[in-house]
This record gives sequence, structure tokens and C-alpha cells, in this order.
Amino acid sequence: MKLLVLILNRFFWFFPTILGLMVITFTISHVIPADPVAFVAGDNATNEQIEALRAELGLDQPIHVQLYRYVIDVFQGNFGQSLYTQRPIADDLAGRVPATLELTFVAVLLSAAIGIPLGVISAVNRNSLLDHALRLFTVSGLAIAAFWLAILLQLLFAMELGWTPLQGRVDGWGPDEITGFYLIDSLITGDFEVFWSALAHMVLPALTLAFPAMATIVRFTRAGVLEAINSNYVMYEEAMGFPRRVIVWKYVLRNALIGTVTQIGLIFGILIANAVVVEAVFDWPGLGLYAVQSILQSDYNAIMGFTVVAGVIFIIVNLIVDVAHGFIDPRESR
Amino acid sequence: MTQMWTGAVSALRSVRRAGTAGLMGLVVGAAVAATPIAGADAKNSFVFANSSAYDTMDPHAVFDVGRVAYRINLYDGLMRWQDNPPKLNLWLAESYDISEDGLTYTFKLRPGAKFHDGSEIEASDVVYSIERILAMKKGAASLFIGTVEPGSTKAIDKHTVEFNLSKPSAIFMATVPEIHVVNADLVKANEKDGDWGAAWLSTNDAGSGSFELKRYDPAKGFQAARFEDHFMGWGEKYLDEIEFRTVVEINSRVLGLIKGDFQGSDGYMPQDQIIRLRKSDNVVVEEQESMRIFYSIIHNGRAPMNDINFRKALSYAFDYDGFINNILSGSVARNPGPLPNNIWGAPADLKGYTYDLEKAKEYLAKVKGPIPEITIGALAGYGQTEQAAALLQNGLTKIGIKSKIVAEPWPVASGKMRDEQQMYDLLFLWKSTYYADPNNWVGEMYDSANIGARNNSWYSNPEVDKLLHEAQVTTDQAVREANYAKAATIVTEDAAGIFIYNTKWFGPITKRAKGFRFSPIGNGQEMRWVYYD
Repeated sequence: MKLLVLILNRFFWFFPTILGLMVITFTISHVIPADPVAFVAGDNATNEQIEALRAELGLDQPIHVQLYRYVIDVFQGNFGQSLYTQRPIADDLAGRVPATLELTFVAVLLSAAIGIPLGVISAVNRNSLLDHALRLFTVSGLAIAAFWLAILLQLLFAMELGWTPLQGRVDGWGPDEITGFYLIDSLITGDFEVFWSALAHMVLPALTLAFPAMATIVRFTRAGVLEAINSNYVMYEEAMGFPRRVIVWKYVLRNALIGTVTQIGLIFGILIANAVVVEAVFDWPGLGLYAVQSILQSDYNAIMGFTVVAGVIFIIVNLIVDVAHGFIDPRESR
Repeated sequence: MTQMWTGAVSALRSVRRAGTAGLMGLVVGAAVAATPIAGADAKNSFVFANSSAYDTMDPHAVFDVGRVAYRINLYDGLMRWQDNPPKLNLWLAESYDISEDGLTYTFKLRPGAKFHDGSEIEASDVVYSIERILAMKKGAASLFIGTVEPGSTKAIDKHTVEFNLSKPSAIFMATVPEIHVVNADLVKANEKDGDWGAAWLSTNDAGSGSFELKRYDPAKGFQAARFEDHFMGWGEKYLDEIEFRTVVEINSRVLGLIKGDFQGSDGYMPQDQIIRLRKSDNVVVEEQESMRIFYSIIHNGRAPMNDINFRKALSYAFDYDGFINNILSGSVARNPGPLPNNIWGAPADLKGYTYDLEKAKEYLAKVKGPIPEITIGALAGYGQTEQAAALLQNGLTKIGIKSKIVAEPWPVASGKMRDEQQMYDLLFLWKSTYYADPNNWVGEMYDSANIGARNNSWYSNPEVDKLLHEAQVTTDQAVREANYAKAATIVTEDAAGIFIYNTKWFGPITKRAKGFRFSPIGNGQEMRWVYYD
């Protein structure tokens, strides 16, 4: 019941949140002193040509009029067109969202799959040599710049050892798009060559992205486990002679995970932002590269489209996180 | 200690039970399974790593050097710029004629030339193409607006097209290659709400070029196959397939070239990367003097820069040799004036300025009134502009002028350049080749008619204007050459800008490729001549 209320509540706030996001981004992108119209019209354009084009694009209108029109359009499902290519923004985004999501999902899975056990190990052996070693490892994960790590990984695994591809998402042009997730599409079409190629291309960017995220997860899991392990029920279970592994991995971990899962929701958003750097180094054809390009060119509709989509993804992921809380801790959903 | 390890081992066991190790195993397995793939070599194809994104395939939407590849490989114009120094060659046209008054240009098309869909290229396609450029007002349109009126171009017969200019324009011929001819029937069939097929053509091919679009993804690039029926015919050896991919990071382009994933890449790279490439067994680095000058705009309309003595002081305060030889390791050529050294009309004996602080002080002493702090603009993200700004600042400090550096991204700077109040006192940047005619540089940059648009110096000199205006209308080549040389000399003597270097182009290309032809206009990306030995 609580869960249903939660979901309805989130839906109620969905539109105001997105609206707020749009107002802020729209205002910022339109008041910075860059002039995309001069850019579109070309270096040789005269001022009259530029003004004519500005009027044609509706960019001569007061900013609140432009904002009003944009919001109406978006809520009707129309993201507008790129100033440069005239292509619908929705098409551009549709081609790139799956690439970024696939990378982000794999990175989150990877960081959780490695980070949670390491966090538990760290907590169970707290202040031991192993714990200190893991701390060093995680601190470096948080401290290393993504682009630097990316280039080092490229040099070692792609150039020196030749184990992984250097850049790109797949050899050639990828499978026929069904979901846009290459790993899934290639399995659906039964094309294992493409599957392995996509997976091989995934390794380095996913590792780069997962490393700092994993560090965060290790720290949060460790803290959660330490807190839970000192509680009365653990003492009781120990007194009852429960095997230590069952106590730790079944009862303690479940209680400790609440904080970690919340963190994973936030990490998801951070990873989408970090993907900008990682996508640039590995030429991953995703949202990040698109966003950078759009910002540099002040392609208003593209910037807005990217922001709205990223906002929606973030809201949905955090809704999933809240629902997951309900499953991990039944008290929350009662 | 023992207890700790037991704990760790048991923890790992539990992890394995939980099945998460399966994922780790999968990833490691994938890494090992990824044996290097033979690459494009086997199919006789050529993969080119490009820094700009191919965000459109419409030949009339953009007009920049970075994305020239699809325009010259998938499309054809009546004429084409080739080789270095660039020569204007007949291309889709087999002959042309210019009327006495310089207003009527008549082109005869090659009969039997075909578009990719097999239909013949006719005069009506050329007419549609120029009308489309004028109506869309993008890309190269600014070259034609004001010279070619909409509706003025006529198809005389199937193979004859006539341009009727509204005023004589000596640069018109130089801009004709930018009229990329599209298949009018095909584009018209895909028009939507009078958009001239803009949405459709942004992802599709309606050309006749040497290569035919096969796949396109704005996020990745494009792939095109050789068009067998191209009107220029083919030699004995050629590429079957070309691919242009967007690779934004220089490091990835360089590593990919060394590894053999890419067979070519664009040629404006920092010198340390060129050195890295030269060490590779796979790559040769082609070197050519391009036509892209690096200079600083000086705001001639604002005090104290409106005083020629102050401008001369600025020009003597820049360490040209230090910049070219130390910072850029001699990878560029000193270019003392506003015309690239290798374009016709560039004055041969132009002296220009040297780094001479004594002379700078001498000229500075002649400047009346207090000298305010000078703002030096640079383009954020373009390291050279920032380095040049810092070097100039250093020189200015030595002669007692205070200055501050403002580095802003190009969209911001390009907006300010059009506004007399907002324009920086100085701004370092490049001027590329849009059309290979001296007018592209000295004419666009210093004609007072262009003030606020392409003349961002607010420079106005009636004598220069007179020379330029005459050169812009006469068809007498000797007059044009003399006038541009004279204008460039006066602009240099006036110290209207700080002219620094002309770019050298270092094109990395696989050792196996032959037949490569560089032209500053096509940026060395016209692929029909390239083959593997």
C-alpha cells in the first residue's frame, strides 16, 4: 500500500520536476552570450542574413515566449529540430539513449557486483591489512580522473596487450536495432560474433566508468555492514550459533544495503554525467558526446532534449530504487 | 591474520554462490576473446578518423572544412578545386563561358553524367540546387546571396545552365564548386512542408559523386561504396569503400592510426602527436603548406588601437620566431601579411614585422594619451590561441603595456566579433579557405563594406576599398593580382592585424595508400584518387 502511494506520489511530482528542470536549463542556455544563429548562418553571412534567419527560427521572440512555446511542444511529445541539421531531436536522442544506457547499466552492474562483496569483506575484516588495502584501492578509485584512467587502460589493454578494441561500440555498424542495446539485439538475432564484439568494446569504457562508482559502493556497504553488525539481533544470532557467513551475507547485508541501494540510484545519475568524458575517449556514440557537441554549438533544442531525457531517466531510476527499498526492507512497503 | 584470510575466502565463496562472479568471468572472457580483428584492409576499404561529427549529410547545410568529406566524395559541382596550390578544374561542366560584362556565366554539362540512382544530371538539377542553397540560407549560401538572385538562374537546354548575376563578381567562379548538384527529382519527392527536402537529405544521398552513401549514423559517421558509373571514370586501381568516422579525441585517432584501425586522419594535429605518428611503421605523414592563416584581429575602431603607432608597437611586440620555432617546433610557415604565402596575389617581397622591442617602444612613445589595459581575446579550447595571447602579453609587459587575456568558446567569440562595443581589443584566430581567391582573406577581412560582418577589425581605408572593389568586379586577372598584392601590402603597413603564420597540413595516412592528392579546399579528403598498391 505504502509502495503504491509512493509511486503515485512520484507520478504527481514528475511533471512539476521536469517543468522546473526545463525552465532552468532553458534560461541558462538562452542567456549565455553565445549566438548559434551567427554560427548556423556561416562565417560569411552578413548581419541582415543573420537577423532574417533569427526571425525565421523564432529566436527573435522574448525568452518567456520561446520558453512557453517550447514547454507546450515538449508536453505534446515534440522536442523540435536541431538548429544545424534540421533533424528531429527525438530521432537523434532515440539513436543515442540506448548506447549510453547500455554502458551505464553494465557499469552499474559491474560496480555493484564487485563493490558490494568488497564492502562486506572490508567491514568484516575492519582495520585489518585487507581493509587498509581496500581503502587504498577505493580512495584511488575516487581520486583518479576518468579520462586519465581511460587512456591508460587503452594503452595497456588495446595497444600493448591487444586484448580489447581501442574505441567504438562494435566492429562495423552493429546489429539490426530492436532495442538499441547491442548486447541484447545481437542475442535476439543470434549473431554471436556481434555479441562478442560488442562485449569486447564494452570492457574498457565500462571499467573506466565503474571504477569510481565501485569505490563509492564499497565505502557505503562497509559503513552499512559495520552499523548492522553491532546490532542486538546479530549478537542474538551469534549467541544462537548461527554460522557467521549466514549472519553476514543473509541478515546483515540485507539491512546494510539500504544506504548502498540509495547510493546506486544517485550513482546512476553521476555515471550518465561521467559518460561525457568516457564517451569522448572511447568514441562511444551516446548522449554524452551529443550533449557536448550541442553545448559547444548552442544548439538549444538539442541541449534541452538531452536535459529532459537525462532528467526523466534519473527520476525513473530513483523510483526503481525506492521500490527496491520496499523489497529489501518490507517495513517500508507495508 | 589467519582468521582474516579465512573470512575473505569464505566471503568469496559466498560471492561465487551468489552468482556475481559469473559476470566478472564474462567480462574477462570477453576481453580475452577479442582477438584483434583484421580491420578494413581485406576489403580494400579506407577508414578515415575525423575530428568533426558528421551531424548532417545535406551538402547545402554546412560549409566547413571539418565536414568537407561527404560534400566532395558523395556530390559533384560544376567545377572543382584540386591540388596545391589549388587549381580550378572543370568537373561536371565540360566548358563554360563568361559574358563581356561579367554578369552571365554559361556552363555546358557533360552529357550522360549520372546520379547515383541512374538518372541523368541535367541543367534543371543545377538550377534546383542553387535555388535550394539560396532558399535554405545556410552553409555556402552567404557566398551567393546578393550576387545570385532567386529565380535568375536558367536551364537553357538539357545540358546548358546560365547564371545571371545581379552585379559583376570576380569571385563567382571561385565559389561555383560549392554549388553541389543534387538530384532534383529525388529531393522534390521527399520534400515536406516546403522544407526543400532538408529533413530527408540530412540523412540520405541525392548525389552523383565518386562514392555512394551506404550507411550513415550521425553518432558514428558514414560509409560509402565506389560509384562505378561516375562520369570521370576510374583508373586501374581504386578503393571499393570509404568510411569516415567521428573520433573526437586526438589520442584515440593517433592510437588507432598506429594500430591500423584507421588508414587516415585529418591533418591539423599538435606537433607532439605528429612526432609520435612518424615513429610508427604503419603511417606516413604527408606535409603540405595549406591556406589557413593564423593572426590576431586588432580592433582598429577603438582607441588606442585606432592609432597606427600603437598598432605598430603591438606588431613589434610579438615574438614570431619564438612562437613558430619553439612553441610550434617549426611546424608552420611564417606568413607576414593577410594573404597566405601560396595564393596568387600574395606580395612576394612583403617584409612584415619582427620581434623588436626597441622599435615597439619607439612607436609607443608616439602614441598620445594614457594607455588603458588591453584585452587580448583567445578561443577557449584552442591552445595555440591562448599560447599566442600569453606570448603577446609577455611582450606588452616588457614595453610597459598592461593587458589581460580573455579566453572564450568560439560561439561566444563569434558573437562578440560582430559587435563594435563587445569586440575584444585583439583576438587570435585562424582564417581558413572558403574559396581559393585572395578575396577570401584580404577582401573579406579588410573591405569596409564588410565591417561588423567579416571585417571584424573595423578597419577602413578608402585606398584599400578602391583596390578591392575594382578587383571584385574586373575579370582581368593581371589587374586583380596587382590590386590584391597592393591591398595586402597596405594592410600590412597599416598594421591592421598581427599576421603570424600560414598553417602546414600534416596528414597521417597509411603507408600502403598511394595516389593521394591534397588540396586546401578539400582538406586532402577527396578519396577517388587513393588506392592500395
